[in-house]
Amino acid sequence: MIPLSYWLVLGALLFCISVAGIFINRKNVIVLLMAIELMLLSVNMNFIAFSRYLDDMAGQVFVFFILTVAAAEAAIGLAILVVLFRARSTINVAELDTLRG
Amino acid sequence: MADSALLNLVLWLPFAGMLALALLPAARAELIRGLSLALMAVQFALVAWLVARFDPAQGLQFATDLPWIPDWGVHYRIGLDGYNVLLVALTAFLGPLVVLGAQRAVTKDLKLFHAMIQGIQFAMLGTFLAQDLFVFYVFWEAMLIPMFLIIGIWGGERRVYATMKFVLYTAFGSILMLAALIYLVWTLNQTTGVRSFAFADLIGLNLPLDAQLWLLAAFGLSFAIKVPMVPLHTWLPDAHVEAPTTGSVILAGVLLKMGTYGFLKLGFPLFPEATRELAPWLMGLSVAGILYGACLALVQDDIKKVIAYSSISHLGYVMIGLLSFELVGIQGAIVQMVSHGLVAGGLFLMVGMIYERCHSRKIADYGGLAKLMPLYSVAFLLLTLASVGLPTTSGFTGEFMALLGAFAAGWKAQAAGDSLMLVYAVLAVLGVVLGALYMLRLAGALLFGAERAPHAPLNDLDGRERAILVAILAAVFWLGLAPGPALELTEGAAREYRAIVLGHAATEGGQ
Amino acid sequence: MIENWSSLIPLLPEVFLLGMICVILIAGLYIDEKRRGIIHFLAILTLALTAVLTLRHFAVGQRYTALGGMFVRDGVGDILKLFVYLSTAIVFVYAKHWLRANKLFSPEFYVLALFAVLGMCILISGGNLLTIYLGLELMALSSYAMVALNRDSPVAAESAMKYFVLGALASGLLLYGMSILYGLTGSLDITLIAKALESGRQPEVAVAFAVVFVVVGIGFKFGAVPFHMWVPDVYHGAPTAVTLFLASAPKLAAVGMAFRLLAEGLEPMVKDWAQMLGFLAMMSLVVGNLAAIAQTNLKRMLAYSTISHVGFILLGILAGSEQGYAAAMFYAITYALMTTAAFGMIIALSHSGFEAERIEDFKGLNQRQPWLAFLMLLVMASLGGFPPLVGFFSKLYVLQAAINAGWLWLAIVAVVMAVVGAYYYLRVIKVMYFDEPDREHQIQAPGDVRVVLAANGLLQLFLTLFVGSLTALCVAAWQ
Repeated sequence: MIPLSYWLVLGALLFCISVAGIFINRKNVIVLLMAIELMLLSVNMNFIAFSRYLDDMAGQVFVFFILTVAAAEAAIGLAILVVLFRARSTINVAELDTLRG
Repeated sequence: MADSALLNLVLWLPFAGMLALALLPAARAELIRGLSLALMAVQFALVAWLVARFDPAQGLQFATDLPWIPDWGVHYRIGLDGYNVLLVALTAFLGPLVVLGAQRAVTKDLKLFHAMIQGIQFAMLGTFLAQDLFVFYVFWEAMLIPMFLIIGIWGGERRVYATMKFVLYTAFGSILMLAALIYLVWTLNQTTGVRSFAFADLIGLNLPLDAQLWLLAAFGLSFAIKVPMVPLHTWLPDAHVEAPTTGSVILAGVLLKMGTYGFLKLGFPLFPEATRELAPWLMGLSVAGILYGACLALVQDDIKKVIAYSSISHLGYVMIGLLSFELVGIQGAIVQMVSHGLVAGGLFLMVGMIYERCHSRKIADYGGLAKLMPLYSVAFLLLTLASVGLPTTSGFTGEFMALLGAFAAGWKAQAAGDSLMLVYAVLAVLGVVLGALYMLRLAGALLFGAERAPHAPLNDLDGRERAILVAILAAVFWLGLAPGPALELTEGAAREYRAIVLGHAATEGGQ
Repeated sequence: MIENWSSLIPLLPEVFLLGMICVILIAGLYIDEKRRGIIHFLAILTLALTAVLTLRHFAVGQRYTALGGMFVRDGVGDILKLFVYLSTAIVFVYAKHWLRANKLFSPEFYVLALFAVLGMCILISGGNLLTIYLGLELMALSSYAMVALNRDSPVAAESAMKYFVLGALASGLLLYGMSILYGLTGSLDITLIAKALESGRQPEVAVAFAVVFVVVGIGFKFGAVPFHMWVPDVYHGAPTAVTLFLASAPKLAAVGMAFRLLAEGLEPMVKDWAQMLGFLAMMSLVVGNLAAIAQTNLKRMLAYSTISHVGFILLGILAGSEQGYAAAMFYAITYALMTTAAFGMIIALSHSGFEAERIEDFKGLNQRQPWLAFLMLLVMASLGGFPPLVGFFSKLYVLQAAINAGWLWLAIVAVVMAVVGAYYYLRVIKVMYFDEPDREHQIQAPGDVRVVLAANGLLQLFLTLFVGSLTALCVAAWQ
């Protein structure tokens, strides 16, 4: 059996990639949304691994809820994106700077 | 029981007045003025009745004690005692005069003005009457906002600067007091298990000397800003000069007394050891204030500034009286507080009267008023003499007793091999001479010499102004000629203060 | 399987709320534009009835659970919920006027706001990491949508995007922390987690690692420095009616969340998270107050002032004592009541095509509308913590708790920053009272706004008399 730590390292790597994606990305808002999805998936990885090794179903149930919420979140995120594109005709992160101070 | 209800009525009357004034239509100017004056007059009558019934042989009287925030140990405790009785009387006495004095000067936003006057009266009385540290603090701070508006809306040209400076100075001081207050109550809870803010509980607290020093520094700083003691005085000239007459009268008459009253009632008795330790330093600062204020008053060209700096000087006498730890000095200090309230308040009112006529406060603009406005000149001269401390006026009683106390303390210290106190006392006397110099210079420049004024012809005092001045002068001379009753009222408190600050062992060896 | 329906009774207020939201959602489809007032009325009625239902089984001094411990009713939760309802109802009254004036008066606002309220209730009552997460997301998703309510405003869309990304990031961090907690303790139930941690069998580093993530997540939701970037932008960019909502009730919910996660779940780790919160609180107090001084936009200034107030709330929580939690709760409640009044004032002075959101717009207000100026004076002085207004008592309560818990240095920082804070509140008062008005406008806000605003403003003064009972209530909630 693959040791638990392998799964946790994978989860942590995915998590780091997604955080880096949010902070480094200056180009496209869609990439931000993808990074957020990735972050939730890395958490799912953790939950499933723990659930398996603790032999406890609750973790996997939690994962289903996270997936559902992630879908809702993506829907709202895309809706905001549409509104943003309609109003500004751009989805470039670097250009979202009218609010300062 | 009935009397304590009456005292509550005295306190809450201005608050109710504030709300009532807020509900009146703004256009009814006469009604607003009338109501405001009537409230103040009723309040004064009630206070007079209570003071007459005050029994000097007992301590706290007409007390109320209701739980307010039980979880913190905060109670609504108020009452009249020897410490505050004269100051409450002074506040109530000046109330109607302030309203009367503003009859003509204030026309802008009349409703708000009178509401704020009532509000500040409420806060000032509350501060004096409070017998619970928390209640004291809340009232103390509640004075800020009304004063902020009074100076800021109805003040002179640089009013915004002056009022900001005033509020930030005071807020800074009081926040330190707040921190000290929380620590104090926390310690009380730690050592005795009692959760209480009552003065009576806190005064018995035996703290280590270094804690006392820190706490006294925190309390003292906020009181010293209010007094004001050099070098924390710089807000005062600005605030006085820019404030409208009413604001100056309230400031000089009552607000400045808050600082010295704080020292008398709280600062020194709460931390007796630290007080004894720091007394020489504080004494030095007070004497420095006396001389510094007097010297600066000598060179001002603005009438209000002369009186403002003279306030710094005169309150220095209160401080040396309190710090002499001699009965006569302490009583002198209390009388000096009242006297300064009357005299400086009166002088500011008189400056207001002439300012209303001529719109100038420059000394150089005036001369020979003795011929132009004979009645005004007589009153001005009398108040000047009271300020200088001429015998038969209240100024004499206060300053003389305070200095007597300082000398008595000085001789004692001299006998013990320390001559510093004596030097201070001598220097303080020098302040009296300087005081005579700058006040007579002012009076001379205004009243005598070639007749000139920025606006002619000048009308002499009208009935309203005469009434104000007669009341003030009567009080000034009464306190000067027959200080007996006033001294009798405060004697118990002065003895108690002395016993607490010196520690009980020391008093037995003393008088 | 639910064997016994009566075990669901503690859930009744939330179930009722959900039902009514559906009713309003559907009613909104069939009611034409002229009669939308009905929706407004229904929404407020819903809140009132939910409050009544909450009061019927008022849980002060008791603890009911439902759904196997997933849902908890206790004194803390119920009191927080009542004030969530109250502040939301006040928000609705102010918002209607603003939405009408800006042609945004639609059922969506009410539905989204009520969904957010439902999310807050679930969050506050969460006895399980899952319910906490779901409540949090329900609240957050509704708020993101509300910020983007005005589809034609580029500023609103931009702030909605920022809010969304940072909010989602915060949820992700929180979730990551939760997953580690789950791995360490083997349970999602708050009380079981606390029990497992109590035994101290988990590696200390790993627990601290999880605590960091949870604290960061909470810090984001509160808007504490250094996780505050979204606050000014969202407050500024969102429609004023939405800012008003976001500024008030979610703070109460955040206190509830912090209580469930930190005070109940991570209670054995109090030393760790108190340190972290101490840092957040200090940074929030310093940055919030200093940045607020430089603002010219009132909404932005209030945003930074919120950050500083969050510092005070954290100060209460990190005391880690009953007194501290009660103080934090008291602070959040009074803060919600103050901030609704402050934004309500912006709304009362706005009219179609004009937003009174710059500080300059308040110039000479005393001469134009003395009564409103006086109310604003009370609110600003209360936010600044001037006695005898209620804001002073909440600050004092928190400071007392912090000092009792040995956080003297932090209390001193807080006190110094409170004086700095007094300056910018005073500046607003200065502008209203000392400056000359540069424009004549005599727009009168509608009657209901004025009445509620007057009550809300005067509350700052009169609550002082009842500080004793309110603190007693907060203390009772923790027993």
